[in-house]
Amino acid sequence: MKKAILLLIVLTVLFPLVANGGGDKAASAKEELSIIWWGSQNRHDRTIKAIELYMEKNPNVEVTYEFAGWTDYWTKTTTMAAGGMLPDVMQQDYARLAEWQEKNLLTALDPYIKDGTIDLSNVVDSAIAGGRINGELYGLNLGMNSECFVLDVDAFEKAGIPLPPQNWTWDQFESIARELHDKLGIYGMGDGMLGEQHWKTIYLSNGEYAYNDAGTDVGYTDESLFADYSEMIVNMQNDGVIPNRELELAKYGISIETKGMVSKESAMEYFWSNQLTALTSAAGEGRHFYMTHKPRLTADGPAANYLKPSMFFSISAQTENAAGAAKFINYFTNDLDVNKILAAERGVPISSAIRAGIKDLMGPAQIESFNYIDRVAQDNSPLPNPDPVGHSDIVNNVYNPMYLDPMCYGVITPQEAVHTLTVEAKKILAKNK
Amino acid sequence: MKIKKHSTRESIDGYLFILPWLIGFLGLNLIPMVATLYLGFTDFDMLSSPEFTGLANFIRMFTDDVRYWASVKATLYFAFVSVPVRLVFALFVAMMLHNNRRGTHFYRALYYAPSVVGSSVAVAVMWREIFGPNGLFNAILAKVHLPADTVWLGDPRFAIWTLILLVVWQFGSPMLIFLAGLKQIPTDLYESSSIDGAGPVRQFFKITLPMLTPIFLFNLVMQMITGFTAFTQSFIVTNGKGTPLDTTNFYALYLYSRAFESFQMGYGSAMAIVLLIAVALFTGLIFKSSPMWVHYESE
Repeated sequence: MKKAILLLIVLTVLFPLVANGGGDKAASAKEELSIIWWGSQNRHDRTIKAIELYMEKNPNVEVTYEFAGWTDYWTKTTTMAAGGMLPDVMQQDYARLAEWQEKNLLTALDPYIKDGTIDLSNVVDSAIAGGRINGELYGLNLGMNSECFVLDVDAFEKAGIPLPPQNWTWDQFESIARELHDKLGIYGMGDGMLGEQHWKTIYLSNGEYAYNDAGTDVGYTDESLFADYSEMIVNMQNDGVIPNRELELAKYGISIETKGMVSKESAMEYFWSNQLTALTSAAGEGRHFYMTHKPRLTADGPAANYLKPSMFFSISAQTENAAGAAKFINYFTNDLDVNKILAAERGVPISSAIRAGIKDLMGPAQIESFNYIDRVAQDNSPLPNPDPVGHSDIVNNVYNPMYLDPMCYGVITPQEAVHTLTVEAKKILAKNK
Repeated sequence: MKIKKHSTRESIDGYLFILPWLIGFLGLNLIPMVATLYLGFTDFDMLSSPEFTGLANFIRMFTDDVRYWASVKATLYFAFVSVPVRLVFALFVAMMLHNNRRGTHFYRALYYAPSVVGSSVAVAVMWREIFGPNGLFNAILAKVHLPADTVWLGDPRFAIWTLILLVVWQFGSPMLIFLAGLKQIPTDLYESSSIDGAGPVRQFFKITLPMLTPIFLFNLVMQMITGFTAFTQSFIVTNGKGTPLDTTNFYALYLYSRAFESFQMGYGSAMAIVLLIAVALFTGLIFKSSPMWVHYESE
């Protein structure tokens, strides 16, 4: 009796393992494909629907998928890569693509473009160039994206201030923001004005960049350009024109839904253009938003904007089904039905046929962002090189803790903060030499 | 002896019974720990294979990383403040609930509840709302006409205190252990002392406290270890960046950030090794000091 019970327990414990192991083998008649992406709930819902449609259209394919938020995504995929368990298709970012390619974790897509699995006949080369490393394509762009300032048209009208010209400068920005604040009693500008993206584009509108082309050093010599900018923002924070760092941490900077523009507490707000859809649905009906370029250093100088591939699909080097993965990427890029589901949430589609095909179905917010991307396409600075190895180290361990926080809490001056940032970033970048 | 005859068979049975745990222990605890010991001496970045770098991680940690020392400071502050306050509070509540009045069981369950839900993400998220600029806490301050415009989570002076308050509020597990300890104290001690004329205060200091010291020792060690490895609170409440000004950048959080967000697994492993040694040292110190203040009944 005792033995019988023991056997039963052992079987109960082991059975699921055995059953599982066997089950996979039995189902292997189907082609397997695994996919992983990061994003918001909105993106998860749309992407899952897209995958279900793919399986409907291709009944012989069994797609498994995983998703996560931005930070968890990289923790997850890095761990997967270390264990040799990367999914076949992974979403990639412009900032990380080079690093992953350098470590031989990605498969080049060119063979699948040559044999027609991935069809790029409706795509201009500049739309995919960002995924190219040493002449080979390692990620296919899923949408065009650019930074923008979103203006609350109603607030501007109420204050009697005309919308700024596309080539507005930071000086104009400051006086408009202060005027909005004085007249309306709300923030002239929302939070997030001291993030690292501004460090990069201040120098972009000076014909430079935060990093040099090789990623071995900072790309600028004049610290005062960014120090002056930082000082302007800190002063505006102190005067209540922009939410200060305390409120950014505790209130506004948590998600798109907590932004001041949603609750009509700020008249302008800084975003990436593909976030307009999420902003509009959070802000509700009856709001009027206009997207415009980031301000630049001088009105006739280079734009502070560049067109960025919002994200890529890449094929992992650990895949056993690269052809199936390529087929899925093609489906995502060229299938009209699936793009109606995806609704340009990852940015403006790269295929002109898809853009034309879905434009009628888009809401005002998406049409505004399509139009904005068209305007940026006419007036931009060239796409800078991908962020170098060590970029996340610089952001996590230098930019935020040594520049941003001490400056905003008045421990050091903007000049000292920018100097520290430059010196410490140089140290990390020097390792890439 | 009968037992001896069956011992091999029975020990196989025994191992089979603990097999699920054993697999978990080896796979999730022991092997990763040994790997950490090795990786701490490498530059492992999770994507390329680790290269041995000797003591470089440790030298960098101690001489060239200001954030490291900020995290040490935040962690020590957190542990040294929250642990004693939490223990005193737990003892206080345990004393309150150590009686046989009607409904005591209900209150015991009630006061333990925060600890059941306490380590969960949901509570940490709720905490962030309570101490938000328009949160419950500021609303209460406004009601009683106190200044209510402090941004608790954004102010370097106060942010860590919201986290201390959170763990003090989760006093349930030390409270339960204190309660069990209180029940162990023979009632005749109290009876005879009150015949001798000792009041409740004197009884507390002369009987309850000395008799509880072994329990205190146990709780202190356990809570110290929890305090040194605090993670969830700052990961959720202050957004996992240690903000503001690295005042809530706990050691475990910084370790996680280095290892998994900056992909410096080697450096993170080295930090884990130092943490292990530090916790062992502190625990050792507490045990070494225990003969001076712990009273065992058998002595």
